[in-house]
Amino acid sequence: MSSIATWSSYLLTVIIFPPLCLGVVRKTKARLQNRVGPAVWQPFFDLHRLTKKRETLSDTMCGVFRLSTVVGLSTTFALAWFIPWVPIKPWSPHADIFTVIYLFALERFFTLLGAMDSGSAFGAFGASRDVTLNLLVEPALCLALVSLSIIANSTDLGAIFSFSHFSTVSLVWFCAGTSIFLTSLAELGRMPVDDPTTHLELTMIHEAMTLEASARNLFLLEFTRMLKLTLFLALSAQCYLRIWAGFATLAPFQQELLVLIGVLLMAIFVGILESLVVKLQWRKVPEFVAYIVTVSLISVFVAMAGNTSL
Amino acid sequence: MRDFSSKIASALLCLLSLSVMVWATITWGTELTYTPPFLLGVFSLNFRCDDLARLFIFLFSAVTIAIAIFSPDYLQQYNNIHKGQYWVSFFLLAVSLLLVVVSADAICFLVFWEIMALSSAALVASDHLQKKVRKAALIYLGATRIASAVLCAGFLWMHVLTNSWIFVNWDFSRPSTYWPAFLILTGLCIKAGIWPFHLWLPYAYSAAPSTSSAFMSGFMSKVAMLALVRILVMGHLNSPYVIWTAFVLGCITAFWGVLFALVQNNLKKLIAYSSIENLGLILICIAFSLNASSNKQVLIAHMALVAAIVHCLNHGLFKSLLFLGTGAIEKSAGRLDLEYLGGLAKQMPTTWICMTVACLAACALPPLNGFPGKWLLYQALFQNICVKGAILEKTASVLSICLLSAVGALILSALVKALAVAFLGKARSTNAAEASERSIAMSVALVFLASCCVLSGLFANAMLTSVGSALASSGLPTVRVEVSLPTSFIVITLIGTSLACYFLFLHPVKTRKYVTWDCGYGSLSPKAQVTADSFAQPSARIFRPLLRYHNLSKIDGADRRHFPERIHVETRIISILETKVYAPLLAMVNVSSRSIARLQAGSIHIYLLYVCSTLIILLLLGVAF
Repeated sequence: MSSIATWSSYLLTVIIFPPLCLGVVRKTKARLQNRVGPAVWQPFFDLHRLTKKRETLSDTMCGVFRLSTVVGLSTTFALAWFIPWVPIKPWSPHADIFTVIYLFALERFFTLLGAMDSGSAFGAFGASRDVTLNLLVEPALCLALVSLSIIANSTDLGAIFSFSHFSTVSLVWFCAGTSIFLTSLAELGRMPVDDPTTHLELTMIHEAMTLEASARNLFLLEFTRMLKLTLFLALSAQCYLRIWAGFATLAPFQQELLVLIGVLLMAIFVGILESLVVKLQWRKVPEFVAYIVTVSLISVFVAMAGNTSL
Repeated sequence: MRDFSSKIASALLCLLSLSVMVWATITWGTELTYTPPFLLGVFSLNFRCDDLARLFIFLFSAVTIAIAIFSPDYLQQYNNIHKGQYWVSFFLLAVSLLLVVVSADAICFLVFWEIMALSSAALVASDHLQKKVRKAALIYLGATRIASAVLCAGFLWMHVLTNSWIFVNWDFSRPSTYWPAFLILTGLCIKAGIWPFHLWLPYAYSAAPSTSSAFMSGFMSKVAMLALVRILVMGHLNSPYVIWTAFVLGCITAFWGVLFALVQNNLKKLIAYSSIENLGLILICIAFSLNASSNKQVLIAHMALVAAIVHCLNHGLFKSLLFLGTGAIEKSAGRLDLEYLGGLAKQMPTTWICMTVACLAACALPPLNGFPGKWLLYQALFQNICVKGAILEKTASVLSICLLSAVGALILSALVKALAVAFLGKARSTNAAEASERSIAMSVALVFLASCCVLSGLFANAMLTSVGSALASSGLPTVRVEVSLPTSFIVITLIGTSLACYFLFLHPVKTRKYVTWDCGYGSLSPKAQVTADSFAQPSARIFRPLLRYHNLSKIDGADRRHFPERIHVETRIISILETKVYAPLLAMVNVSSRSIARLQAGSIHIYLLYVCSTLIILLLLGVAF
């Protein structure tokens, strides 16, 4: 495929897909609640509206707030550039899993500072809950990625997702995919952990942290959030697709198509999950995360047993 | 006048560190040995300077220059510190540390080690009119005494076994040397503040002036780790018992340190605990390297050892920056309790930026210098999973990766708490509201260390290769490590996308200033902000069995749900180790010494009786044998 086509397809996916995913999640939820619901491209209009508004800042802020939204989005873009989340990318650099995990941490560091900059207790408590969740979830994500690295014998995500001898270890792909998917639910404050659609009294993490953001700042924060969701869903969708041994033999554009459909299916699944599952009490969340860590651990040990070169 | 002498002392210190740095740069790549023409008693002294020692000399120079610039203005706030005593002990500490780094035999090492221990104790006790400082100095002194005793025992034992005092001749690969190796490990661990001997560390670092905590944490604790590498790693230790003890201690230390860092409300104590965590990480690296080399996995051993040295150097830089930053806050806001700070970012922009850099580095976030060491440790652990070997070791590697990522997330939350509560939001006390940057020299020192952190982060690959070559020249078998960090790529991508985002979205837009959202109640008081305690509460709750974390809240009032009249909240943390292990031990020592003290009755007749009976016993013994 020519480089112009590659570039344009990549840029289109990176810009169009994140809002679309969120739109699909919302539409699914609306349909399950017997509502017509907004169109799937409603998030685009929401984002567009945000860019037109005038930004309001708190007079307590010291400037790190505006920096934090910018750094957050740029780190997530850098991650989208690193991680092979879609098969067709103009350039695939060496994406070491540990670097990827710590880049996610960099994004979080600035988001947390931004949330606490205004001195608002809402933001600070959101941040406090966010770090608590992350310290539980981080080992799970790390181990899930490590298990994939073990079967590929490399910590480079690019090598992992171009790896083709996996027929004996499809269980690893399944466990790792599940673990990454559940991690994304916890990390992004989605349903069994937190309800992202209510207002601040009920939403405990994300809405509380973005309370002081408005207009273009809110745009940056929301887009960061959507992009992160898409990255996680795409990674887990690829893991699931690779359970099917024939996937690696397909042409790149067929793979791309399958992955994109997979992401949308995952988004529908998130919508269904959010309609069926009730929010966990905050104190029960560690138990939920313990299951994710267990799945990751199983994944690592299966990978160790399944790697025939060991 | 007094101030003037402080400045002269600081200039001399700068000169000393600059000259050793220049010397180390000129002689880079050569191995120098020196034996002075005089003897120490009956022993000759041996010094040896190789590239590994030079790396630590570079760290010494960077840290010392910053502290020397920082000290004179910082010390002005202490009326009770005798400046002469402070500077004399500082010089003694600096010189003895340099000589410990280059000493090549046990006697020489012990002599300077002792001078170092005593002069650092004097530094801790600088402000000795305060009771808390005296207590801290006493605890620290006790710890160093025990450390030296254990270390001496180990050295003597090795001397008996090898009949040599010189480190190079000590070979720890024979089973008879396992006990001395264990003693040496214990002695050095006590000095470095490894769990369960870490108790002195938060006391000493929080009671000492920030400049001395910066020096002790930034350089002195690293020297203990260097000694571990010099004696045990280069002595080819291969006892699985000692290695696994070190490994488990390292893991517990890393986790324990960060867990307690999370719940501290005093900025200096928080940073002291994070220092414990980092020393735990370095110990994990060293133990892991020892294990790999005893399994003949040269590549993994080399990677882990490079990780240890690189993390020593980088931790020295960012930890001393953190301590100096707290010193700047202490000088302008007067207190370091997080509950009295807040909103300092606007008044102290330089300190804020430098502290943010230090915290980013301490959280091991990518473009900065905390990352390379940790990343290399992860890589070494991962390589260990991927090679043929015992399943137990692989499981240990998997669990350590799990632990390391949890520790990483915990330290992030602890440092975000410290940074955000101290610098963001509104001031929680009048002192904090009136704080400002007080001195240019102090800011210069902070900026100097912050730029060291940034540069060593950006040139991480060069640093990794030079540490590798230094280890090669020090007589360890080395291999080329082929993995390299994509630092420049990350930096370019991040800066590029950040600038693009900023200019696309935020730059030309006009903004409106308004108050923080207050739910319509009217102006928020600073007390409505989150406190350090409440920020840490959800995380601390999860670990409450380990921390003995109790949170009591009492709300009184006629209709207590809607119109509380009085709210009382109390958070309590008990250190189990201190109350359940050390307190009974100390009580036992006290009781036994009191009963032994009965022997010292103060009467000359009884003493004469002791002398007489000792003579008789000796005579009898002489007859018997």
